[in-house]
Amino acid sequence: MQFKVSPLTKIISLSGFLALGFLLVILSCALFHNYYPLYDILIFLLAPIPNSIFQNRSDYGSSSFMNDSLDGNSGQGASDFGYFCTGMLVTSGLTLPLVLYHCQLINSVSCAMSISGGLIIYSSIVIFSWFFHSSWNEDDSNDALFT
Amino acid sequence: MDSHQESNRLFRIPFKIPSFHGVRTLGVYISGMFYALGFWVFLDSVLYSKHANASDVHVTFIDWIPFLCSTLGMLIVNSIEKSRLINLEGGNGFMSGSGDMDSAMAWQARSILFCGFALLAGGLSGSIVVLIIKFLIKDYTTYPTVGMGINNVLGNIFILISCIILWIAQNVEDEYSYSLTI
Repeated sequence: MQFKVSPLTKIISLSGFLALGFLLVILSCALFHNYYPLYDILIFLLAPIPNSIFQNRSDYGSSSFMNDSLDGNSGQGASDFGYFCTGMLVTSGLTLPLVLYHCQLINSVSCAMSISGGLIIYSSIVIFSWFFHSSWNEDDSNDALFT
Repeated sequence: MDSHQESNRLFRIPFKIPSFHGVRTLGVYISGMFYALGFWVFLDSVLYSKHANASDVHVTFIDWIPFLCSTLGMLIVNSIEKSRLINLEGGNGFMSGSGDMDSAMAWQARSILFCGFALLAGGLSGSIVVLIIKFLIKDYTTYPTVGMGINNVLGNIFILISCIILWIAQNVEDEYSYSLTI
């Protein structure tokens, strides 16, 4: 990758992507006057939270207690819990519209739209943290504002 | 030291478990996925019974009990500090005078682990019992009705698979860090 994309372009395109996801999920509710798929947005917004929380915690644990093996193990367990919760939330976000469709609460079009919308929301959040994690670590002076 | 550790392990596995650094993370992710799959497969039967049920069989609290047993068992099994168990496996072999408190702690860990596995197995067999007694004996054998019982069994099987994958993932990473420190 030779060409350099400015961070502003990244932010704008990602926010457009995120808005497309929200549009799909809300449209899947509003077209059929059936607001059950809105829970999908909630689940996919909650999904990256445990991963980020426990990842930072394990970083602190490994850096400050490098010699102490027992504390290192407990930090590992905490990050495991974060990974477990993330996998659980992503899978439940995918299966919630399928279950609602199987129970005849929503129809198939609404199911497909809410699944794709939720995937778009989650992937845009993941790509956002992926893009800006390295650039935030480079300059620590600006980093204090955001954390 | 390395060959001694190799001969001291509990199982003789003829093949090597792939132990690169990301396998623990991947295993934990997959285990979470299986747990959510089990939860939603079970919840599917509950919601189906509430909203789209044409028969006169409904999911009651009886059907929830195996699921709750499996979840509690998984929580107990995976919240035990596994180094306690593994330390005693080594301590029994060549360090016999390891102290009284350690062996008592390991004994407690083993009995709690036994309770956890008993809860997991009890959840699975309980769901099969519910399927047989509530659906198969009363001749509800056509699919959309018996699907509620089958989903219950499937959900408990998925939770069991998730527990097994989590256990294996954590043990594999322990082996990796073991060979790293030695």
